[in-house]
Amino acid sequence: MVLLLPEDSGMRKHLMKFWIVGVIGSAAAFAHHGTSVTYQTDKTITLTGTVTEFSFSYPHPQLYFDVKDADGNIQHWGSEFAPTPLMMKQMNVGWARDTIKTGDTITITCNPHRVPGSTACLAKELVVNGKKLTVGPGRPPATGKE
Amino acid sequence: MMRQCFLVVVISPVVLLSPILIAQPAQHEKSTKAQDKTAVFDRHDLTGKWNRVSPFQTYSNVPGGANELQAYLLGQASAPQKLDVETAEAPFTPEGKAKFDKNIPSYGRRITAPMLGNDPQAMCDPWGVPRMLNGQVAGPHATIEIFQLPDRMFTFSQWHHDYRMVWTDGRQLPKLDEVEPRWNGYSVGKWEGDTFVVNSVGFDDRTWLDHNGYPHTDQMRLEERYRRLDAETLELVMTITDPQYYSKPFRSDTKIWKLDREGAKAWDEQIYCVPSEEFKFNKLIRDGGVGKQP
Repeated sequence: MVLLLPEDSGMRKHLMKFWIVGVIGSAAAFAHHGTSVTYQTDKTITLTGTVTEFSFSYPHPQLYFDVKDADGNIQHWGSEFAPTPLMMKQMNVGWARDTIKTGDTITITCNPHRVPGSTACLAKELVVNGKKLTVGPGRPPATGKE
Repeated sequence: MMRQCFLVVVISPVVLLSPILIAQPAQHEKSTKAQDKTAVFDRHDLTGKWNRVSPFQTYSNVPGGANELQAYLLGQASAPQKLDVETAEAPFTPEGKAKFDKNIPSYGRRITAPMLGNDPQAMCDPWGVPRMLNGQVAGPHATIEIFQLPDRMFTFSQWHHDYRMVWTDGRQLPKLDEVEPRWNGYSVGKWEGDTFVVNSVGFDDRTWLDHNGYPHTDQMRLEERYRRLDAETLELVMTITDPQYYSKPFRSDTKIWKLDREGAKAWDEQIYCVPSEEFKFNKLIRDGGVGKQP
């Protein structure tokens, strides 16, 4: 994506800051523990389930949830978010650690794990109780002056 | 808990004293930043939060190393890599190469899924030096901060919430057999002109030089050469001498950091490696084993 904006415009500087932090932040997150070889980043799956635990912790936030298959069997899943908790806070994702609660209904689109039969994935898009939550780089980061 | 308590005791006075130390009369040249004529800085003051801008997570700019991963992550995987020819290949001895082959990293050309690797980081082992200096990802998320006291210099690492200490009180570097190996080694620093030179011995051989799994023995000697190029820029070049694993001194590529004044005010991530978090994360998420637990 190329944005054609005046070189000295405030918007351009604003967006560049966002881009730099977003890209570097993504790189930083992805660089932890070999994410790129853990997940099939060229594929996505979509699951609907019920939250059993949300751990807004390091090294990456984790969402655990139950998925019911066509036969009514429950399968326990887990998904990680790429940014760290503070990175998400600084990116002003618009939600907080207490937003996701046990029992919430979620629909998640994520990169599947490379290990066959595994039930873990890397979150790309998340909808909680009908509301979409950002799980990656979002609006420009906080400057600490707000 | 002990380490946390110690950090509070040690680092806090350092932070509080920093403005005083910066204000000390300098015996050397004051310089002025070209872009900002009011930005006077002291070439002998390395204090500050420094964000790495040169390729990260690798000791040396080796082919197929972390730079390729970085380029891939930045969407530039097909772009040609600029390599420092002089340091492009690690001068392994056969024993060093064999040890390197046994180290299975989660980064770089030999990148392997964490559960199949043996990176000490997966056990929350300390990174040690020099990995602490080159393993930082990118600011302000995780980087280094330097503090100076009259007799010591501290480098704080956001990752692992660790720090290393360099003696600057004029003492001599001990002989190898006089030092018990430790995670960050035993370091002595002094100014040679405008270059701050740190020499270290006494390293615990369980650490890696970087995320790529480069090994070292407990006989390793490390030299770090820091230069503050201008008000905003810090340069570091490292050389290790470790004859058992490397046939000649192994020089790093040039590491560059930029001073992050705003980040220093806004970013305090406290990234401890907490076993109870890390092990759960690895077991249930990275190892893909959520649904496989009893």
